[in-house]
Amino acid sequence: MTGFNTNIYRFLIISSFITFIIVVLFGISQTLTYLNTDADRSSMLHLALNKEKLYVPKVTWKDTMNPGRSIEKQVMIDIEEDYLNAWYVSNIAYQDNKLEGVDNYYTTSALQNIHTIIQDNSSRDISIHSTTINHNLTLDFYSADGQLAIITDSDVKEYQYVYQEDNLLFEIEEKSDYQALMLLEDGYWRIRHLIKKENNRQDIHKKSNGYTKVIRYRIYVDNKEYQIKGINYYPQKTPWDMFGNDYDINLIKEDFDMIKAAGLNTIRIFVPYHAFGKEQVAIEQLKKLRQVLDEAKAHNLMAIVTLFDFYGDYSVLNWTLTHRHAEQIVSSLKDHKGILAWDIKNEPNLDFDSRGKENVVGWLKEMILQIKQYDPNHLITIGWSDVESSAILKEEVDIVSFHYYQDIDDFDDDFLELDIKIDKPLILQEFGLSSNWSFWNVFGATEKNQAEYHQQFQKKISEKKIHYLSWTLYDFKNVPSSVVGKLPWRKHKQKHFGFIDKHGKKKKSFKHISN
Amino acid sequence: MNRNRKHIVLVGFVLLFGIGIGIGSTFIIKVPEFSKATLKTTQKVFEAGDRIVLDFNLKNGVEALLFLKSSFGSTVISSTEGKFIIPNHFCKRRGVLSYILRQNSKILYKGSVIINAKSNSEIALQTYIGPPSIVAGGKDYTMHIVVPTDVYDNPLPDSTTVTFRHQFLDIEKEKDMYTKNLIAWKNIFSYNSSGKLQLSSEVSNTNSKESSVQIFPALPQDFQIFSSQEHKYADGNQIIEFTTEILKDEFDNLISDGTLVTFIIKNSKGILLQSRGTVVNGQATANMLHPDYKDSWEVKAFIHGVSESNTLHLSFKEVLKDFDVDISSDGRKIEVGPLLSYMKQLIPDGAVVKLEIYKQDRLIDTKVKTSLNGKVKFDLIEGFYSAGNYEFRVIALGVQKVLKNIIVQ
Repeated sequence: MTGFNTNIYRFLIISSFITFIIVVLFGISQTLTYLNTDADRSSMLHLALNKEKLYVPKVTWKDTMNPGRSIEKQVMIDIEEDYLNAWYVSNIAYQDNKLEGVDNYYTTSALQNIHTIIQDNSSRDISIHSTTINHNLTLDFYSADGQLAIITDSDVKEYQYVYQEDNLLFEIEEKSDYQALMLLEDGYWRIRHLIKKENNRQDIHKKSNGYTKVIRYRIYVDNKEYQIKGINYYPQKTPWDMFGNDYDINLIKEDFDMIKAAGLNTIRIFVPYHAFGKEQVAIEQLKKLRQVLDEAKAHNLMAIVTLFDFYGDYSVLNWTLTHRHAEQIVSSLKDHKGILAWDIKNEPNLDFDSRGKENVVGWLKEMILQIKQYDPNHLITIGWSDVESSAILKEEVDIVSFHYYQDIDDFDDDFLELDIKIDKPLILQEFGLSSNWSFWNVFGATEKNQAEYHQQFQKKISEKKIHYLSWTLYDFKNVPSSVVGKLPWRKHKQKHFGFIDKHGKKKKSFKHISN
Repeated sequence: MNRNRKHIVLVGFVLLFGIGIGIGSTFIIKVPEFSKATLKTTQKVFEAGDRIVLDFNLKNGVEALLFLKSSFGSTVISSTEGKFIIPNHFCKRRGVLSYILRQNSKILYKGSVIINAKSNSEIALQTYIGPPSIVAGGKDYTMHIVVPTDVYDNPLPDSTTVTFRHQFLDIEKEKDMYTKNLIAWKNIFSYNSSGKLQLSSEVSNTNSKESSVQIFPALPQDFQIFSSQEHKYADGNQIIEFTTEILKDEFDNLISDGTLVTFIIKNSKGILLQSRGTVVNGQATANMLHPDYKDSWEVKAFIHGVSESNTLHLSFKEVLKDFDVDISSDGRKIEVGPLLSYMKQLIPDGAVVKLEIYKQDRLIDTKVKTSLNGKVKFDLIEGFYSAGNYEFRVIALGVQKVLKNIIVQ
């Protein structure tokens, strides 16, 4: 027994000694590592700065001819980058009323100007959230020693949201010209002088090729009137993740065959913002989207493509990231014959409370202009989640979309009211009933109820000749938490909206998928 | 006539109908409430530092807000009487100051004023000159840029006259230029001689400080080289010195100190030797040790990629014809020397002597030693060199002696 105890003590002493040594060695090595990490030679030239792009307004160089010296491509890139950074850091400075980082991109004397304004603003609790949408640069002068450059930046579109004590005072969209004198100091191109100039030029709008158009209440595709009979589509196995790893064009083809055979002519699909690569759209994803659209076209189906799915940050400073996202997708598909409309965002009115209505609406408004600029050929709509919201931005969109999950008996009145208010084509973009009746959910609708619901709705639709897209083709086995949250009863409901059940069998409602 | 009358009646009806609709529609259109403000201030153009007050006709007593945006940033000010005093720091900044008036959450007025740089104020001259050094000859130039600013650091308007001056040796020049795109600038080309160029500028009686730009000599011309040595013997001990002539560019300027000159030496075996020197006061020198055997050299100097020299031919005489080699009776101790130089003096310490050991016509070892007091001793230790018949070759200062059939015990 004593021997056993001695062994325990021996073991404890030895192991605690070893642990102690390990801790000491680790401490010494950490200290040495820390002492060795600083003052990396490359940091003097700030060559290895983290270059993740945070501010990407559209920049075009109009002209670099100047009397001083011809400019090198690399210097142009440097000037452009630092000039944009100057805008970015000053935007942040005016938003937070803090000067951090600003001194990298403004010389000491120029910084003084920003400093006084910020002092004044912060003393009165004014905060300005702003962004620039585009910059058109002309090089006026570049010095022989490559240390001084003067650029003119014309037609700069700026958005500014002015808050005082969190109350929105102004929401301003302005176009100006600027001239900047920049100096190369410590490897940064810094603004030395900045002068705002007058700008009275008109916006130039791109002309549509007329492939899709709206004349009063009617939609025309290729000069023929088009009545939307459609469905919101996700493949059964990959709901809310259509273009992910399990993407399978063959399954999608089969689904399109079925949709066409059911007498429908339109699908609505969703492009997730993050999964598509945010401001740097992944080429493979874009290829998949094009493949789906090609396939839809081959099946004589038109697509309403909903962008910015799962996007939720409408803050002014980050708008430009979404603009680049839209630019890459939309401009590469601007001549696609399978697209009927770009739906900018699904149910953005649900974000009003959390993100501020003015931010969301401002973002949508500018996004409409952005998309029109890159693709004037397709229609634009916004997928509002209810009838009340759908009048927002009705002048800006081409067709007005709304979703209807309320009581079917109120539909006639709601629709009539909307029809009076809006003189553009109205799209019933989502409607449906979940057949989620089960032992645990006795108040849920049965498949029979669902069939009756669709039958009734189709009757109303054909009476009033409403453009419609129902929700949705399939029942789903899994619904991601990001869609309706984690609550199981919500998820459960979302799984049973389909016309086809999870075993691939057509439900009773399938008979009423179209009229 | 009848037809005319019909026309008149018709036109009358149409007119009546039109007026009827007009009146009808005016009843329908609501007269808008007082939703527009008017600006009482008529001045649109100001000078930096002026007091700017924007006075609007407004419903009194209700707070109105004015958003201001200038070159560097924006702000909001408020007033209840419609009289807005623009903050000082906005008044001082050149550029367009745009503003938007809002009252009761309605935008009532949008406009802008122009603020120019302050005239008749103290002027500051920001000067940028570069590159700071240029090459003589009139092809290279430096750029002199001046940004004249007012007392509030606003660049003066276009077409401000800037006088550029520069002085070089006994040349003094002056030229007026006009600002455009915020700056006035002038290129100053180098002169034929090297030296210091002084620059200055002036805007309406305000003078800048003096700045200077160095004019460096242009590229050196081809040149001559010389050698000097104590004697012509290949003793492996003396040093030969190579010098260039005074290096000059095409305009007779001394070449800059520090220019690297490389001397390349090719010996009779075709081996290349190299020595370098930098230019000091126009001349570069480089040294090289004498060979330790009879040899002839070709020497040529280069400034890489720029210019080259003539070729020097040098020959070195052998210092000795023969030397003694003593071998001990057991054949294991070999003493070379005394090695005598050209005046029969002992050769300076450090001359290389090589012993090649052959056994049955096969080289089995080479020993190299340097001389001490004119002598070199080799020991063949028993354990390494077994007894037998050997052949020794001794090589010193280019002379080789062959000793055959040496019996080592």
